[in-house]
Amino acid sequence: MMKKLRQEFADTMLEVGPLDQRLVVLVGDISHGILQPFAKECPDRYYNIGICEPTIVNMAAGLNKVGLIPVVHTIAPFITERAYEQIKLDFGYQQLDLNLVSIGGAFDYAQLGCSHHCYADVSLLCHFKRSAVTIPGSPVEFNVLFKHLYNKHLINYFRLVEQPHEVEFAPNDVHFGKAIKVRDGRDATIVVVGTQLRNARSAADALAAKGIEVEILYYHTIKPFDEEALRASAAKTKNVICVEELSAHDGVFNLCMRACLGMSDLKLRQMAITDFVYGYGSYEELCERVGLSPQHIVDQVSSVVG
Amino acid sequence: MVYNKDLRIKIAEMVHRSHEGHIPSSFSIVDIIEVLYREVLRYRPQEPKWEDRDFFILSKGHGCGAFYAVLHKFGFLTDEDIAKYSTAEGRLGGHPDTTKVPGAEASTGSLGHGFPTALGVALGLRIKRKDNRVFALLGDGECHEGTVWESAHVAANRRLGNLCAIVDWNGSAAQLMPTDDLPSKWRAFGWDAFEVDGHDVVALSKLLKSLSFSADGTPKAIIAHTVKGKGVSFVEGHGKWHHRIPTDEEMTAIVEELS
Repeated sequence: MMKKLRQEFADTMLEVGPLDQRLVVLVGDISHGILQPFAKECPDRYYNIGICEPTIVNMAAGLNKVGLIPVVHTIAPFITERAYEQIKLDFGYQQLDLNLVSIGGAFDYAQLGCSHHCYADVSLLCHFKRSAVTIPGSPVEFNVLFKHLYNKHLINYFRLVEQPHEVEFAPNDVHFGKAIKVRDGRDATIVVVGTQLRNARSAADALAAKGIEVEILYYHTIKPFDEEALRASAAKTKNVICVEELSAHDGVFNLCMRACLGMSDLKLRQMAITDFVYGYGSYEELCERVGLSPQHIVDQVSSVVG
Repeated sequence: MVYNKDLRIKIAEMVHRSHEGHIPSSFSIVDIIEVLYREVLRYRPQEPKWEDRDFFILSKGHGCGAFYAVLHKFGFLTDEDIAKYSTAEGRLGGHPDTTKVPGAEASTGSLGHGFPTALGVALGLRIKRKDNRVFALLGDGECHEGTVWESAHVAANRRLGNLCAIVDWNGSAAQLMPTDDLPSKWRAFGWDAFEVDGHDVVALSKLLKSLSFSADGTPKAIIAHTVKGKGVSFVEGHGKWHHRIPTDEEMTAIVEELS
């Protein structure tokens, strides 16, 4: 069983905090228990502020104004959609530095209902020229990406998935801004983010049994988007299926289309979220309901490969 | 009695010349800001980012005419800055931009942002073991914003005794929400609250200099009784003058009343 991303977040803060006295962590009454080792090691640099996300994000701007590096952590819809004007004005307009670390993106909090779901966080954060946007799907990805980005004077967004995808990458496999080719194939390219890598791999096995070989490109970094990797793969397979737990309106599929501009004879398909995911259940049950299961991927790939 | 008549004329001239600005909101706060820069704040105008400076954040950014006039008086801004207010060539606009204006600690405009920023600055200074003080000037209408009260709650519970909020209580808020006992609200949130005539520079100076600041203490709120448009009879009060540009005749009348 792979370590949870939230635990890796706490462990990485404990690793970086003692080395960089500028790092300050603000949370909105979440992950309080697992951050206690960091709080003990860096006692003046950990604050469980309360249930007031716009103010927490805005406060972080004040911290950065006096030279500190803020890390703000809470549930994805509250830290991004609710506090978006604070991100936009206090960090974008004022050219300040921020590290936002969310948990519970998409429908990860499957049993809590739509109030805790979030599909537009990634695209919202992509709007800023100075932003770097990532979806770490395993602990090593967060550790590598955070240490690479946190002090680069950017607006960094790390969407931590609730369930790791279970693929063990080595630290040297993870490079900011670079896709990882998880599987070679000739018939279709699956572009996939987050926990959906699990479903993509299951689908690839099922498709292989039918004689269809898919290539899987896994993107932990959404912005900047690795266009070169996709263009190389798409030129070979001529079929691109994008699987994402993001809004169909402005998700990774848009980035794929932009990457493939000027290429001919391509078939592109999007598998994404088109509306609120109503109801409750397990993460896997909601994947099934929203059309993001292994079988759905098999069907989509089969339809384009013919 | 009307103080700072010269600054009021300068504000009106900037707005008249550029066709942009909020004269009554600026007249409401100009005495407060002038006293802060004349008698209270530590700063170096030629070194605006001096690390030992006190922080002043104009949370009600639309009152920036007063802020610019004071920054000019105390050496942060040049005559050219004032002359080019709200032009494509200038660096002063209808709300302050911290990336352009020396002495402006925050870009404000959307209400309810500057004060939480001041809260973060105050916490950051305490983390860094610095004794700089932090002042934020808010509008009473701005106190409709939820982030103001979220921040008030956090500051009191974190015992940020290096933070002072000054509220420009000119009655704008009560037009919409008449239940408006601001001193009681700030006290209920755990702040020490003081009331003062926001146009009496002697009283303002005495109060501001009497406050004790500390890294661990009760934050302070000064509720300043003010008059929107203070100093010019036909501009005072609420209504059409909020964002009005004076005609040439009105500009002459403003100068005559203030001269």
